[in-house]
Amino acid sequence: MEITDAIVQAAKFIGAGLCMGIGAIGPAIGQGNVGGHAMDAMARQPEMAGTLVTRMLLSMAVAESTGLYSLLIAFIILFV
Amino acid sequence: MTLSKKEKGFVGTILVLILIFWLLSLPRSPGMDQLGQIGIGTKWIYTIPVMEDFGFWSRINLLTVGVGAVIVLGLILFARSVGKKFSLIPDRRQSFVELLLEYLYNTVDDTVSRKEFVKPIFVISTTLFLFIAVANIISGIPGISVSVIDGRPVFSFFTDTWATPTADLNTNATYAVMVLLISYVFGIKAKGFKKWAKSFFEPIPLMFPMNLVGEISKPISHSLRLFGNIYGGGILVFILSYMVKYMLLPIGLWGFFGMFIGLIQALVFSMLAIAYISSQIE
Repeated sequence: MEITDAIVQAAKFIGAGLCMGIGAIGPAIGQGNVGGHAMDAMARQPEMAGTLVTRMLLSMAVAESTGLYSLLIAFIILFV
Repeated sequence: MTLSKKEKGFVGTILVLILIFWLLSLPRSPGMDQLGQIGIGTKWIYTIPVMEDFGFWSRINLLTVGVGAVIVLGLILFARSVGKKFSLIPDRRQSFVELLLEYLYNTVDDTVSRKEFVKPIFVISTTLFLFIAVANIISGIPGISVSVIDGRPVFSFFTDTWATPTADLNTNATYAVMVLLISYVFGIKAKGFKKWAKSFFEPIPLMFPMNLVGEISKPISHSLRLFGNIYGGGILVFILSYMVKYMLLPIGLWGFFGMFIGLIQALVFSMLAIAYISSQIE
């Protein structure tokens, strides 16, 4: 392997790792907020737990999307 | 733990199915060193020979078109078979359909404020939900998959899941743009053209470019969310499965990424469609 190819490979791996690692911060904070507040609401009104769980999963899926963008970018960096 | 005869038969059937699946996939599961050579993230694109001059228009993504058509046909046949004998005392399939549609109708009814628009929005969002849900569920079931190696399609059996139309950005972008245009139609119908066009210049005319960018970013985030979940989930399962060489782990991962995440994302897609349309008619 040429030294230039090796540098490109190393940069690809570092870039994909950084992309995924930094990109996961935002969704993690968002999902933590959603989960924590859902727990608060369930503790206050346990009879609403069924509705709250579905809505919690829904908003978690929406909060997750920015993380998935960075996952896609990481895959593109690695494989394309 | 004591099991009845029926439960024993059920567990035994599942174990035998898992064994058959494992044996079928064993000779075909490639090693870790071949990860770079698999046609990962590639699509089988067919070019119509007569129309090669048209460039973009002559390229057909056969799997997306084919599997999408099969799903649509299957849904139509299922709906016809249920609708043929609609009785007051529902059988199993009818009660399943009634429960599902009632849940979706209630969510639309809660979200949309103007009652005359509830039914059309319900039809649009439920159609989207049914298609995307079925397409995502088959992405969690092992079957025939196609990957491209050196420009040729290679068919593999029971090493990967069925190819699904929602793992192709074309399908998702089509639906997202369609939802955007439908929301404009609803907005024009509800408010009149003048009042609808004026909503782009609010609160002050200076904000028009901002509003335009906001409108354009809607279908992009709408389509990429679904695409990223299904496509990224597929590749993630593919990579994780190499750690155990396709022994038992893919079944759980396909169940999680294909069925659980897929159903949630189908619900999210139709919910966002409802939200976009109902934000236009208010």
